[in-house]
Amino acid sequence: MMRLPQGASTAAQAVEHAVPHVDTGVTILFALILVTMVSCLALEEKLHAKKSLIVGLFAVLCLLLGAVLLPLPFGPYLVGGHEIAMPVYIPAVDWGVITIILGASLFVDVTSRSGLFTWIAIRLTKGSGGDPYRLLWLYGLMTVGFSAVLNNVTAMIIVGSLTAVSLERLDRRDKLLGFLLVEGLLTNIGGLLTLISSVPNIIVGTAAGISFVSFFVRASPFVAVATVVTILMGARIFGIRGLTDEAERAESLRLVSGFDENDGIESQPFFWFSAAMLVLFIIAIATTSVMPFVSELGMGFVALGFALVMLIRYKHEVDQFYRTIDWDLLGFFGALFIVINVMEHAQVLALIGVGLERVIGLGPTLGTGVMMVSTSAFSAVTDNIPLAAMLAKIITAMPTPDGLVRAPTDPLWWALIFGANLGGNLTPIGSASTLVAVTIIHKQGLGLTFMDFVRKALPFALVQIALAAVYVLWIL
Amino acid sequence: MTKVDQFESVFRAADKTPFRYRPVDVESVLVVSDRPESEARDYGERVRSFLGALDRGENVRWQTVHGGQFDSVPDLLELVERERPGLVCTYRHLHSESWQWPYTLGEYIDVLTQATTTPVLVLPHPNRPPERAITDTDRVVAMTDHLVGDDRLVNWAARVTANGGRLALANVEDEVTFARFIDVIAKIPSIDTDGAREGIRDRLVRDAHDYIASCVRGLAEAGLPLEVVEVLAHGHHLAEYLRIVEEHDADLLVMNTKDEDQLAMHGLAYPLAIEVRSIPLLLL
Repeated sequence: MMRLPQGASTAAQAVEHAVPHVDTGVTILFALILVTMVSCLALEEKLHAKKSLIVGLFAVLCLLLGAVLLPLPFGPYLVGGHEIAMPVYIPAVDWGVITIILGASLFVDVTSRSGLFTWIAIRLTKGSGGDPYRLLWLYGLMTVGFSAVLNNVTAMIIVGSLTAVSLERLDRRDKLLGFLLVEGLLTNIGGLLTLISSVPNIIVGTAAGISFVSFFVRASPFVAVATVVTILMGARIFGIRGLTDEAERAESLRLVSGFDENDGIESQPFFWFSAAMLVLFIIAIATTSVMPFVSELGMGFVALGFALVMLIRYKHEVDQFYRTIDWDLLGFFGALFIVINVMEHAQVLALIGVGLERVIGLGPTLGTGVMMVSTSAFSAVTDNIPLAAMLAKIITAMPTPDGLVRAPTDPLWWALIFGANLGGNLTPIGSASTLVAVTIIHKQGLGLTFMDFVRKALPFALVQIALAAVYVLWIL
Repeated sequence: MTKVDQFESVFRAADKTPFRYRPVDVESVLVVSDRPESEARDYGERVRSFLGALDRGENVRWQTVHGGQFDSVPDLLELVERERPGLVCTYRHLHSESWQWPYTLGEYIDVLTQATTTPVLVLPHPNRPPERAITDTDRVVAMTDHLVGDDRLVNWAARVTANGGRLALANVEDEVTFARFIDVIAKIPSIDTDGAREGIRDRLVRDAHDYIASCVRGLAEAGLPLEVVEVLAHGHHLAEYLRIVEEHDADLLVMNTKDEDQLAMHGLAYPLAIEVRSIPLLLL
């Protein structure tokens, strides 16, 4: 019997322990609440309400109804042999995921103040010589790289902002829409590269027990192919070609040479310290699972530890970084874990699991393929985070036909990871980073409706999902 | 959205406006005087001597117009239009008795500087003894309230600076306008006033500094034998301009006068042209 992956304990215990009976009517009531919550998230823009508030209100409702209608496991809880009293919603939250997101975003925020990312971005811009085709390649690769190391949203913000400024400088604003769309689509490709590149990766990877290195090794071949294909398609569809005229090339070179990569660097020592810390951060995250003692503390500890070390530089003004933390995202996660926990006790997850088992029962190829496509479709119209969190919990509690816990290499996990990430490319609301891309597009005064985005992004998304299906089903 | 703005600001700040050296081509110079022919010729020679830098490696055609060749503003404009010189040189209160009063440049100069696109060098009136000798252009000051990207001003200033001379590139931010905007910012709770004051001031200075550094590089690469110095100032425009002219012991002040939106001289150009009477002005 293989070792249970981190985070899988709760779900596994739920399978092992006898679950108290819940009336079917109650299960259906909670299922309807879940559907309503997902619908509200899909309509987030129309409701003009933040995710944390929407899901927070549903968490309050679920807890209240759960206290009345369900046998919720109110404490005390047994932790390390000690009975500890805490509210039922505290152990419901996956604090490992929360700390990774909190620590990594703080680390990235402080590191970006050193000017490191803008330095890299401007060096690449100058390296292109102002040639649009080379610029598309370099910005595309930078998007994937930044998405992998940072997170999709920060990557899109950095590359998208630079694209707007540099194309304006090069007097090529006519290509801006194409650049921003390709970059937006590439954030979700780059988001597949590492375990910490996107939230679905963190959730599913943690649930499946996939290590950082194993994730990278398995995902990188697909990311490489999908990146090349996306950039080539982008260049063709949006007519982005290289400069052939010598005078044009010289003028473009002159224009990009005006960029000063050192302008954003306030302190050279801090710049180099940040560069070193970034490399160490990646190494530490990659080796967390094999580092003695640290492996027990988890990636969240590593991320928070690095963030705090970086904050020493701004020890008198750390509050300004606390203000930049995406509390909406963290609140959303906290509330989401609570809702899913209540749904588990209401047997809603078991009900969905029955449907999922039928899909999986279609066979290793067809079942996994349908799983990936349907995950993509759902991710396109609603937030992929609750979907990933819910399905990860269901699959964790769903043993293999041999009765064993699913291995990290199980294609079902990877179908979920690829589907949840790539589905975000189908619509502008499918992922936070495509939404940022559209926001930058609108900020630049370029008209792009919801359907315009779908029309332009659909060929890319279909090719990417098809590539992913082939990769997961027959190559991985 | 805030982060998009933040990064966009970082990249916009890094996007420096580079100076582009373009040699100013002056094929001919028209010296306009209201004196009789022989006096006018002598005056023309003095002007040519003063602008010796223009002859640097080029064959400039010098022409002198005397008082008998025109007696009205339209005549003068027609003359300039016919000759199409690269530069017109003349003096304050041309064909005017008002030279005793320092309140105008005289109608000829007023119209000439605005009705033609040709730069006009305005010298002190010959009847008024100059406060300092007008002999050469060793120390030239090019001054504006927005130097960044003003390649034309810098190229002209470099063109008229004598070999081995010193060119001061001056950017003067208007303190009154600055204070006005800071007052407004102080009334907006979401903007940190002290941070904004410091940030805007730093940015204005840094942008001008970076552009001047680019000018220094560009002029050196072009092989021009002159020293370029940076002058960055905040203050009340007119007082600050006068202070800089005095401090740099300028032989010639170069400034813009044209404004696309109005018929009168650009911004502070006219009051400045009136106030700075002791040295020649090159009005672009």
